[in-house]
Amino acid sequence: MPAHVKVGDTLPSLEKVISQERINRWAELSGDFNLLHVDPAYAAKTPFKGTIAHGPMSLAFLNELMMLCFGMDWLSGGILADVRFVSPVRPGDRITVKGVVTAISNRQDRRYAECELFVEKQDGTKAVVGRGISPMRTSG
Amino acid sequence: MDKPELVFSDLGVGKKFRALTYPVTRDLVRTFIDVVGDDNPLYEKGLRDGAIAPPGLAAIYARLSYLQDHVMPAGGVLAKQEFEFVAPILVGDTLAVNAEVVESYVDEKARKRVTQLIHARNQKHEVVTTIRLSVIWPK
Repeated sequence: MPAHVKVGDTLPSLEKVISQERINRWAELSGDFNLLHVDPAYAAKTPFKGTIAHGPMSLAFLNELMMLCFGMDWLSGGILADVRFVSPVRPGDRITVKGVVTAISNRQDRRYAECELFVEKQDGTKAVVGRGISPMRTSG
Repeated sequence: MDKPELVFSDLGVGKKFRALTYPVTRDLVRTFIDVVGDDNPLYEKGLRDGAIAPPGLAAIYARLSYLQDHVMPAGGVLAKQEFEFVAPILVGDTLAVNAEVVESYVDEKARKRVTQLIHARNQKHEVVTTIRLSVIWPK
């Protein structure tokens, strides 16, 4: 992708299904056993009215998308910026991880692609928004 | 013994947490790949030392770096986050992760806001990831 990327290009999208089991496994992986994520009975009594996925899981999905598009370039100067969690992701949600290229720039002999990134739920609601800025090999 | 909660009054500007030692093991990477569902061939499924580790691990070790001796009080909200991936992390690396509070204040709506700057270094002492986490602290 880097060789031909231009403003307006959409990144390939990723689809994920969120289940309580997946959330529980993330809790084990991350050590974050906040009851809001892992205890449906507790979470039902909170303003969220049910368990929600860990925010960092969505960050992992954004990283997955940028790695898919930019590969090793993402790991040598990539920036995931302005990430905000705007609505909760819940068990049963089917989410799509999307991005669009919004700018191409040159800095210090490197070419960068700036992308708007978001995680969207099945009803079109955005759950997470952010920006990804990745260097690109000028050789393509 | 249960760990105490990490509360806002503990989080003055300049507060530094002890370094987290975070081994990037094959088991960790394989589990991460499985949970996330990220089958990028660059990771080689985490089957050998020296393979690339997924950058999404950063959100995990960043959080652990300030919660080694405490638990997070319920109700915290992740406000804004920034990750800079400086260099690849490899399976088999052991990271040293340092967190420092760089911003701590009560905003105009009486929300307790804390920003931490977190650096992860590999065993060669090279910075591999820089993270800026802003959290609305619950208490």
